[in-house]
Amino acid sequence: MPSRLRPFVGPLLILVLWEIAGRFGLVASGALPAPSAILARLAVDWSDYPGHIFATLFGAGLGFLIGNGIAIAAGVLFALYPVTSRVARGLNVALFALPPIAISPILVLTFSDPVPRVVLAAIGCYFVTMTATLVGLTQADARSVDVVRAYGGGRFKVLALVQARIALPVILSGLRIAAPNAVLGSILAEFGGGGRWGLGVYLLGSLGRGEPDRLWGIGLVATLIAGLAYLAFVVLARAVTGSSQAVTVPTSVLRSTDRPRPAWQQGLIVLASIALPLALWWALLAVLKVPAMLAKTPPALYDYLFGLPGSPATQAKLVAALAQTLPMTLLGMVAGLAIAFVLALGTQLTPRLIRALLPVALVTQTMPLVALTPLLVLLVGRGPAVILWVTISVTFFPAFVTMAQGLLLVPRAALELPRAYGATVWQQLRLVSVPASLPYLFAATRLTAPRALLGVMIAEWLATGTGLGNLLNQSRGYLDYGMIWAVAVLSVLVSVAFYQAVVLVERRVLGRLGMAVAE
Amino acid sequence: MSSGKPLSLNRRHLLGLMAAGATLPLSTRFAQAATPFTFQASWINDAEFAGYFAAIDKGYYAAEGLELTYLSGGPDVIPESSLIAGKADLTLTTPDTTIKAIVEQQAPFKIIGTQYQKNPIGIVSLASNPIRTPQDLVGKTLAVPPVNVISVEAMLKISGVDRAAVNIVPYAYDPTPLIKGEIDASLDFTTNVPFTIQQAGAEATSFLLYDFGFTIFNDTVVVTTDTLAAKRKEIVSFLRASKKGWEENLQDPAAYPPSFAETWFKGTGRSIENEIYFNTAQKPLIEAEGGIFSMSEAAIAANIEALAAVGIAATRDMFDTTVFEEI
Repeated sequence: MPSRLRPFVGPLLILVLWEIAGRFGLVASGALPAPSAILARLAVDWSDYPGHIFATLFGAGLGFLIGNGIAIAAGVLFALYPVTSRVARGLNVALFALPPIAISPILVLTFSDPVPRVVLAAIGCYFVTMTATLVGLTQADARSVDVVRAYGGGRFKVLALVQARIALPVILSGLRIAAPNAVLGSILAEFGGGGRWGLGVYLLGSLGRGEPDRLWGIGLVATLIAGLAYLAFVVLARAVTGSSQAVTVPTSVLRSTDRPRPAWQQGLIVLASIALPLALWWALLAVLKVPAMLAKTPPALYDYLFGLPGSPATQAKLVAALAQTLPMTLLGMVAGLAIAFVLALGTQLTPRLIRALLPVALVTQTMPLVALTPLLVLLVGRGPAVILWVTISVTFFPAFVTMAQGLLLVPRAALELPRAYGATVWQQLRLVSVPASLPYLFAATRLTAPRALLGVMIAEWLATGTGLGNLLNQSRGYLDYGMIWAVAVLSVLVSVAFYQAVVLVERRVLGRLGMAVAE
Repeated sequence: MSSGKPLSLNRRHLLGLMAAGATLPLSTRFAQAATPFTFQASWINDAEFAGYFAAIDKGYYAAEGLELTYLSGGPDVIPESSLIAGKADLTLTTPDTTIKAIVEQQAPFKIIGTQYQKNPIGIVSLASNPIRTPQDLVGKTLAVPPVNVISVEAMLKISGVDRAAVNIVPYAYDPTPLIKGEIDASLDFTTNVPFTIQQAGAEATSFLLYDFGFTIFNDTVVVTTDTLAAKRKEIVSFLRASKKGWEENLQDPAAYPPSFAETWFKGTGRSIENEIYFNTAQKPLIEAEGGIFSMSEAAIAANIEALAAVGIAATRDMFDTTVFEEI
C-alpha cells in the first residue's frame, strides 16, 4: 500500500465499522445511526440549514471579534504593566474556569438575544488569546530590545518595533484555537437563548422528534464549522508568518514578571485580584439596571444565602447537590486523565492505532453534548456510569493532546541512554518519558478540572437528575432566581478552587524536581 | 440580527396589513398610529402558538392598532423573567410557577386568561407497554422534566399512589429513550409526542394529569400589575385579536399550519404534519364555553384546589377575569 494512503486506513476502518453498527442497529438498540443515514438526512434537511448556520456564524463572529479585541488589549496591558496581570488574576482564572452551562441562564436573564451567544463566544476566545498575546510579547529577544532602548526608544517603541512583531505568530496560533471555541460558545448559548435561528436552536427543535440521525447531522455540521474556523487560521498564520508554529492549548495564567514587592503590597494585590470579579459583576448589573428580582448582586446573593428565613433550606439544598456533584467531578477527572495518559503512552508504543482513533475523539469534542448524552443514556443507563462517561468524553481529548505533546518533547538523548543499556520500552517510559513529561501532566490536569465539572453538570441536568446540574435546571422552572445565581457562582468557585489546588500541587512538585511549569 | 425577528415580522406585518386591507374599510386601516406591544411566547415556534401566528398574518393585531413584536421561547427562557426584565408586556406561563413566584417572591403578576382550559401535559407510554392510569406507574420508570416533578407528585398523591414506588428520572424532551424502551413513560405534551412515536413506527397511549385530579390551566396569560394599569387598553386589544386568531385557526386545524411552513415554522426541524396533529389535538383543550381565553369561576376554583395539593397557596385575587370581560 502506498505510504501516503496509510493515514486514511484507520479512519476508514472506523467509518466502516460505524456503518455496520448503524445499519444493523447494533449500538443502543439502533439509536446510533449509520454515517450514510446521517448524510442522507443532512441532504433532506439541507434547506433548513443556511439560516441556522448564518445565525451561529454571526454570534460566533461577533463574539470572536469582541473577545479577541479585549484579549489582545488585556495581553498588551499585562505585558506593559505586569502588576495589572496580578490584579486581574482572579478574573482571568474565573473566565478560564467558568462552566458555560452555569452562566448561560444568567446571561439569558440579564440580556436579550443575541447578547448571550456573543458573550459566551467572546469568553471562549478571551483566555486563549490573552495568554498567547502575553506569551508572544514577553518572549522578545533581549538584544533587540536593547537596540531600541539604546536609540532612545521607550516602552511603547519596544512594543511596536520588537515585541509586536515577535508576538504576531503566537497570537495567530492563539486565534486558531479561539475560533472553534467561539463557534461552540455561540451554539451553547443558542441552545438556551430562545432565539429563532442558530444551530443550537435547531438542535433544540429537533430533540423532541426522536430522530437521532438529524441530531448527529447537526452535530457534524457544528463540528465541520468549528474545524473550518480552525483551518482558516492555520492558513492565515502560514500566509502571514510563512511557517506554522505548534502551540498547545494554554492552561495557565502566566506567572507575572512583576518586580518583588513588600508584603503589604502583595497582600493588597491578592485582595484586589479577588475583589475585581465581584466589583465587575456588581458594576455590570448596576449599569444595566437589571431588576433586583432577576439579577442578584453580591450582597443580594449573600442575603439570599444567609439572611432570609428560607436560607437554611437553601443552604441544605446547595450542600446536598454539591455532595453529589463534587465526588463525581473528581472521579470523572481522574478517569479522564487516566484514559488520556494511557492513550498518550500508547502513541509511544503503537502510533498507528492512535492516529486511527483521533478523528473519533475529535468529533466527541465538538459534538454537542446534548446530542451525545441521550445516546450514552441508552448505552449505559442513568446511573453514575453515564456521568462518568460524559465527563470522560469532555476531558480526555484536551488532556490527551497535552500529554502526548509532553511525551513527544522528551529529548532523544535522554531516551537513548536507557535504550543503550537494554531497557525495554516500558522501562524507558517509566524511567524517562513519564517523569520528563510531568509538567505536561499537570498542564493537562489544570485544563481538565473545569471541563470535568462542566461534563458532570451536563450529565446531571440531562440524564441523572442529581447534583448541581439538576438544581440549576429545577430552579429555572421554579423561578428561583436566587438559586440560579447561587449555583452559577458556586460552580465557578468550585472550578476556580480545583484549578488553584492543581496549581499549588504543581508548583510544589515541580519546584522540588527543579522543573518549569508548562504553559 | 441573528433571529431576524423584527425585520421579518415587519414584512409579515405589512403582508398582514395588505391582507386585512381587503376586508377592512379604508378609513380604519391607517386611522391610528400603531402602539408597540411585545409578546413573549413560552416555547419555540410550533402549533402551540398557531393562533397568534394566524392573528399576525391576518393583520388582527394591526387592525387593533398594535404593532406586535413576537419573541420565541425555549427551554432556558423563563417567560415570567421577560416581564420582570421589561423585555415583554405579556406572556404565557404555567400557573404553578407563576403563582409560586407571587406567593414566595411577591412577584407582581396577574393571570388574566388562559390558552389551555385543560393542561395538555400528560403521561405518555407505548401501547405495547401501556400506562393508562396513575396506578399503572407503580414500579415503572417515568421521565419528567425537573420543572414538572411537583405536578407529577401532586397527581400521584391525589391518586393515592406511593411516590417512592415510581422511579422518576429527568426528561430532556427527547422521546428516543421511550421509543427504545429505556424508560416506561414520559411526561410531555400529549398533543405532540404521540405523533413522534407514530413516526418512529410505534403506537402511543396517554392520559392527562388533568383527568386524574391535577386540574390546572396551562399557558396562562400573564401580565405585571404595572403593565395592567398602564396598558390595559392594549392588553384588551391583544386578547381580542388573539382570540380571533385562535378561533380562525381552530375552525379547521389542518388549514393554517401549512401556510406557516416558510415563515413561522421555517427551520424548526419539525414537520407540518406534526404541527397539524398538534393543532388538532389541542383544539378540545383550548375551546371553552365562555370563549377562548376565558376563566370560569369553577375552573379557577379547581386550579386553586389542585395547587393546594402541591403546597402552593393560590387565591382568587391572583386571577383577574375583568380584562377578558372587556373584550
